[in-house]
Amino acid sequence: MQKYISKQNLNTLLDTMIAEGTRVVAPCLNAGIPLYEPIKSASEMVTELLPRRSSKEAFFPVCEDIMSYAKEGQHVSLKDIDPSRFQETVLVGVRPCDAAAIPVLDAVFSWDYKDEFFLERRKKTTIIGLACTDADDACFCSAVGLSPGETKGSDLFLTPLEGGGYACETFSDKGEALITSHKELFSEQTKAKALPLAEPQTEKIDLKKVKAWLDGHFEDPLWDCIAVRCVGCGACAFVCPACHCFDIVDEGTEKAGKRRKSWDACGFWKFTHHASGHNPRNLQPKRYRNRIMHKFKYYDDKFGQTLCSGCGRCVRICPVGIDIAAIVEEISKK
Amino acid sequence: MTQPIDTSIYIAITEAIRDEAKRLLLEGQVSAVIGYAGARRKGSAQPVIISQAEDAAKLIFSPASVNNLALYLTKAKKEIPKNGKIGIVVKGCDLKAIVGLMGESQLKREELYLIGVPCAGVLASTAQPSTGLTAETIAPKCTECNAHLPAGCDYVPNVQLPAPLQLEEKYIAEITRLEALTPVERWAYWKEQFAKCIKCYACRQVCPFCFCEQCLCDRNKPQMVESTPRPAGNTAWHIVRAMHLAGRCAGCAECERVCPMDIPLNLLNRKMAKELKELYAYEAGFEVNDKGPLSTFDEKDDQSFIK
Repeated sequence: MQKYISKQNLNTLLDTMIAEGTRVVAPCLNAGIPLYEPIKSASEMVTELLPRRSSKEAFFPVCEDIMSYAKEGQHVSLKDIDPSRFQETVLVGVRPCDAAAIPVLDAVFSWDYKDEFFLERRKKTTIIGLACTDADDACFCSAVGLSPGETKGSDLFLTPLEGGGYACETFSDKGEALITSHKELFSEQTKAKALPLAEPQTEKIDLKKVKAWLDGHFEDPLWDCIAVRCVGCGACAFVCPACHCFDIVDEGTEKAGKRRKSWDACGFWKFTHHASGHNPRNLQPKRYRNRIMHKFKYYDDKFGQTLCSGCGRCVRICPVGIDIAAIVEEISKK
Repeated sequence: MTQPIDTSIYIAITEAIRDEAKRLLLEGQVSAVIGYAGARRKGSAQPVIISQAEDAAKLIFSPASVNNLALYLTKAKKEIPKNGKIGIVVKGCDLKAIVGLMGESQLKREELYLIGVPCAGVLASTAQPSTGLTAETIAPKCTECNAHLPAGCDYVPNVQLPAPLQLEEKYIAEITRLEALTPVERWAYWKEQFAKCIKCYACRQVCPFCFCEQCLCDRNKPQMVESTPRPAGNTAWHIVRAMHLAGRCAGCAECERVCPMDIPLNLLNRKMAKELKELYAYEAGFEVNDKGPLSTFDEKDDQSFIK
């Protein structure tokens, strides 16, 4: 289905849904930082800035309670979180690089173990992607086979038009249902031209070639060369739309507490630290190798996709300027 | 129109660093040189460790040479071989950290070859690497710099540093503002800041003084600080960090630069530094002190906190 919606009507749509009790998550400013967060009014939405963290947290929050416990005398009581109480959500203004990473997360969270926290939120969320008109030289979606107009992951996709408003195209029943239930706000497609989309400066990388090299180079001098500078923080993984590792810890007292799930990162030395004290990834290059291997080999082996959508956040945020696009390009030329 | 800052000497500095690194490696005076190299993004730079003379041509110095490379000398960076003398490119602020690490018996002067850089300033984390250096784009720490010319180095390129511009001192102004708040207001400010923390530990990982074998905050047998990114654990972590660095932090502001959530961490460090100066007349500098201000006792020390 192809329709047109004006900027004003898009705001009306969001405000109506907020009033109806839908959780509307959109890029907005929080203490000066652009983030995907629930908004109270459509006027809070800021689409000009790339959110500092990706939209994955609409389904996979930085930290969430997954259970609570209490102990009274010898009696221990456990209380589950009820995922059925998660709210209906519309995730709007999602950059194509963020939206494209969501199906990648779907695959892993619904694989051998069904992560009900992720899946329930996912089921209840409609994703409205927004074509990207602004790239910088850290962006590399075009290098990993995506583009500023990529619709992967979106239920409904908006393309900004000259003269204002958006062309909207649906890609799923959820997207169609959203238009049908608010059809007075949409009109037939106009002849207006789309605004020029962003032009990332990176050439397409042959990811098959990258994988073929990785298949045979678990041990290689490259890892030391590129990762000796890595400081071992979790910034790259935490801003990444596709990284999905998490830790589970119990926090509280002997009497009562919570079991919590929070983001983890393979860059941390503790990530593979065994209870025995042994650490198979004892040095940073081994940890960084895992980052590249997981994104461009292991994930592909298992799910036939690449675990990177080229948003460039890790490139911008890395304390020591490690540039995954440059690394993958280098590997593709080997 | 924002005031440009003259960094034209960085071209000559780059040439001088390359020549010196090449000489050191050719003559076998050092086993490696830690410096900056250009990267893919326009104008960007990243730390590099070279051990071959022909790689000296990769070295640069530019407004994007933001990192404090002293980090790579510490025992926290086990990946860097510490065999023989190591050459390192240092700005004045970085040198203060090296001096602090020497005072803590972490580094030996004779195992280092210090290539000092006369520095007019580097870029703020908010600026794209290709941006020119101006009063707007300069890193906040550089607005208060008293170490443009590192002292006591083995080699300093012979260039004339332009007279530094008078810039608004960013931390002093902000600390004055926060000190004027009531404790309740100040606490509200820090609560909001710490709430942004996602526990990526970039602040810890880039700090030259965070060389503990195991950080207290990573311990889980028993757990000392809640590890999840929530208010309690975030606040505990940032206060532990600030206190552990009091009297040690050399002011490189790397913690603040790398924070993905823009938490103004260096404000805590500068406040601590201010207290240390008032209480013990201590300031991080270019002189090695065997005993830090908080690891010595003097009868003349301020006792007013004992009530």
